[in-house]
Amino acid sequence: MQKYDKMEKIGEGTYGTVFKGRNRDTMEIVALKRVRLDEDDEGVPSSALREICLLKELKHKNIVRLCDVLHSDKKLTLVFEHCDQDLKKYFDSLNGEIDMAVCRSFMLQLLRGLAFCHSHNVLHRDLKPQNLLINKNGELKLADFGLARAFGIPVKCYSAEVVTLWYRPPDVLFGAKLYTTSIDMWSAGCILAELADAGRPLFPGSDVLDQLLKIFRVLGTPTEESWPGVTHLSDYVALPSFPPITSWSQLVPRLNAKGRDLLQKLLVCRPNQRISAEAAMQHPFFTDTSSSGH
Amino acid sequence: MAGNFWQSSHSQQWILDKQDLLRERQNDLLVLTEDEYQKIFIFFANVIQVLGEQLKLRQQVIATATVYFKRFYARNSLKNIDPLLLAPTCILLASKVEEFGVISNSRLISICQTAIKSKFSYAYTQEFPYRTNHILECEFYLLENLDCCLIVFQPYRPLLQLVQDMGQEDQLLTLTWRIVNDSLRTDVCLLYPPYQIAIACLQIACVILQKDSTKQWFAELNVDLDKVQEIVRAIVNLYELWKDWKEKDEIQILLSKIPKPKPPPQR
Repeated sequence: MQKYDKMEKIGEGTYGTVFKGRNRDTMEIVALKRVRLDEDDEGVPSSALREICLLKELKHKNIVRLCDVLHSDKKLTLVFEHCDQDLKKYFDSLNGEIDMAVCRSFMLQLLRGLAFCHSHNVLHRDLKPQNLLINKNGELKLADFGLARAFGIPVKCYSAEVVTLWYRPPDVLFGAKLYTTSIDMWSAGCILAELADAGRPLFPGSDVLDQLLKIFRVLGTPTEESWPGVTHLSDYVALPSFPPITSWSQLVPRLNAKGRDLLQKLLVCRPNQRISAEAAMQHPFFTDTSSSGH
Repeated sequence: MAGNFWQSSHSQQWILDKQDLLRERQNDLLVLTEDEYQKIFIFFANVIQVLGEQLKLRQQVIATATVYFKRFYARNSLKNIDPLLLAPTCILLASKVEEFGVISNSRLISICQTAIKSKFSYAYTQEFPYRTNHILECEFYLLENLDCCLIVFQPYRPLLQLVQDMGQEDQLLTLTWRIVNDSLRTDVCLLYPPYQIAIACLQIACVILQKDSTKQWFAELNVDLDKVQEIVRAIVNLYELWKDWKEKDEIQILLSKIPKPKPPPQR
């Protein structure tokens, strides 16, 4: 650890504590993620390994950079580029107002990072504002790939904190085991709505059932016709039959027509009908420069 | 994760130069001949294969573990870590990385104990000597020596595409798949990109099965044929070496020749 000075604690990750640090030679500020290597006999936690090996391969300006991995007497420290804040903290600083140009820029950067991951067959699987880092140049970076693994998304993480359900698609809530890139696209849709509404979450469910109800009250309850196979998913439960809402402009009043169109292409219950990151990047929402208008 | 090979850590950090490899090995080659050195690696590739099969791992995981094992000793002398400890450690790490799910350490150790007794008693007369703390410490050391490059590209995926493109039947695929597995007992996984290894293995299989009609197909491939020939030669040499080797009779002597770590200073 001689290479870096440890500074204040900045957070609690999936598998360890995150500190701010400073490189003694370059004075560069970094984030130090200390990996816990205790108790059970798993060794280096697979979530940490997953993050290390993915970030070792994924180099992109919208993905947080893993600068170094430090080995020191039975401690493993991952050294990341430091970002000033995450999107959640950014929202908290907004006081309910967001510039549409900022919203558009963050969304496009999110999609660029995702398209890069998806082109490498990597799913993030846990996108949420806390995992999107923002630096002072207005750059957005995907972070926390610790849950990016194939064996289900835990409901509890290491620190016994409950993983939020708000960004989870209905197929996963119904117990679908086969994850595809569509899982991230749903989360991206939730984040677009939240961006446009300056940080008010779109579907803040309190448990799985409540989460599903909140989604279906907006999108309509899926049926075998609208989504073949839905009733065969392992955790499927029959829910009241809601019709889809008719007015998206009431749901996300500050988003213009093109933005609403993109949102509706992302928030599709049936996973294989969701737009891809690559296609979403080409959406007219990002080429339309007028900030208001319907 | 099977993204772009050319941008991967495998391509950028772990396609080694043959001369460098020999230089790294020179200390071990003072006590072992090159053939003996390769025989030791054949033996441990078998150990990894048997452990992997007992744990019901997919071939991809076993292959990744074998490549970790070879990468470690590409940068280290055999005396730095006992290969009998490194082999199960590579399995543990590969199973986590390849998303096989986590193997518990106690299960891994009990499988090692059983395998040493039932399958490798001709090599080891004593019990498997390592415990959880040894494996966890070794995992740490392995991770550091791999420079955290854990995603390994294997020839299996390009192989499937090639055979499909050739329009050939399953018999060819089955044989080539086995040759790819055997190629892990040579240095080719350290020296050449996986698609070249796949082509070389396919070529050997076509010769064995006397598929003369495929010659034109190979000629039209856009690939460095010299490299492919080097790989073919390395694998054919392996089969030559294997043919005359009586592992059961000779391995104990070989293992005893492996340079050992210096014992800790006595007080």
